[in-house]
Amino acid sequence: MTAIQILLKEIKNLKPIPAVVHQLLNVVNKPDSSMSDIAKIIQYDPAITASVLRTCNAAYFGLKHPAESIKDAVNLLGIDQIIDLVLLKSGAKVLSGKHKGYGLQEGAMWKFSVSSAIIAKQIAKELELGQENAIFTAALLKDIGKTILDRFILNSFHKISDLVTHENLSFMEAEKKIIGVDHAELGGMIAKIWKFSPKMVKIIRNHHLKDIAQAKDKDVAVVYLADCICMMLGMGGNADGLAYRFHEDAMNLLGISADDITKIIVSFTCQMQEVEDLLHVV
Amino acid sequence: MKHIVGVADMKTSNRPEDSILTYSLGSCIGLIIYDPVAKAGGMLHYMLPDSSIDKDKAKTKPLMFADTGIPMLFKETYTLGAKKTRLKVFIAGGAQILDQKGFFNIGKRNYMALKKMMFRNNVLINQQIVGGQVNRTVRLEIATGDIYLKTSGGPEEKI
Repeated sequence: MTAIQILLKEIKNLKPIPAVVHQLLNVVNKPDSSMSDIAKIIQYDPAITASVLRTCNAAYFGLKHPAESIKDAVNLLGIDQIIDLVLLKSGAKVLSGKHKGYGLQEGAMWKFSVSSAIIAKQIAKELELGQENAIFTAALLKDIGKTILDRFILNSFHKISDLVTHENLSFMEAEKKIIGVDHAELGGMIAKIWKFSPKMVKIIRNHHLKDIAQAKDKDVAVVYLADCICMMLGMGGNADGLAYRFHEDAMNLLGISADDITKIIVSFTCQMQEVEDLLHVV
Repeated sequence: MKHIVGVADMKTSNRPEDSILTYSLGSCIGLIIYDPVAKAGGMLHYMLPDSSIDKDKAKTKPLMFADTGIPMLFKETYTLGAKKTRLKVFIAGGAQILDQKGFFNIGKRNYMALKKMMFRNNVLINQQIVGGQVNRTVRLEIATGDIYLKTSGGPEEKI
């Protein structure tokens, strides 16, 4: 079997993302959907419901009376927070754990993914792109390809690292050259198998903007920017570090200046403690 | 005891049993100062060059910025008996994404802000391991002033 064939087999064995994510993303993007439509969808998944309620009742949220149903939770914490929690819960299983090939300790990939999702959603809101929940989910899952590619990176690390150091290739370009596929491409394949919308597949596949033309789609560019910010903050990269390409053109297309990036970093840093706490309760 | 410096954070100590450590510096800078006579030192992990971008936030999180964080690290280390003239200064971090240039290159701007400040205050930088596309983890041993650095994917090494 070639490396690609083995990878495709592994993708098929990957735990699928819970169906509630698809239903939720479908409903939240419809302008006429109500809070109770959303609550209903979540309630159909008992495992997610139980887990969301457990999280809502954790000390972190400081509720005076415990939420006993999704409706309670929505009333107490707001629909936005509950949607985020359901999406986070769904991603937690596939993104937790260690990723030795990429040199990521237990929980490092998870922290990076959640931070990217929070930053991407915040930028999407400020730019009024709509689709914030799809952007949040795509940013959360953008590195899903790394979870599969990890083992292959471990075996080929020195070859990849050589190309990065001596031939000025990005880590992803070196992945492609040595393994035959890069983690963004692989992530796109996984998203397709999981039946995510074409938009989400596109965002995940292009989150490093291998093809700069994709930056014309602002949803793609926003997730790319969130990824860059997390890298600058030292998150998510260890073996690969910051060895990805920066595209100033993408910033221009988004109308984002270096000062804007600085402001996003300031605002995210101020809520970092909250994010850390959230990571522990989800 | 091991003290971990988070982002926008600092720790200082003069207890010989202590070590101070910060994980995963990307474009952020880890600044270490150490007085070998007083055997006192400290470490700052800041992420941005200039607090003028948001004066209010700089008041609540001054350690986020070079211009507000660096003086605080020096002052607190002086209270432990350190003297400016004896200080050893080490810098790590300031990495950048490939092709990240000009004003967008926050790693380089972080480094330049520090360099300027040290020059203006007549403080010599003894050693610096900055730039590139790598994450760095640094550790300072208070008893000896020894500094250890771990770079992306590599083992920890004494500087």
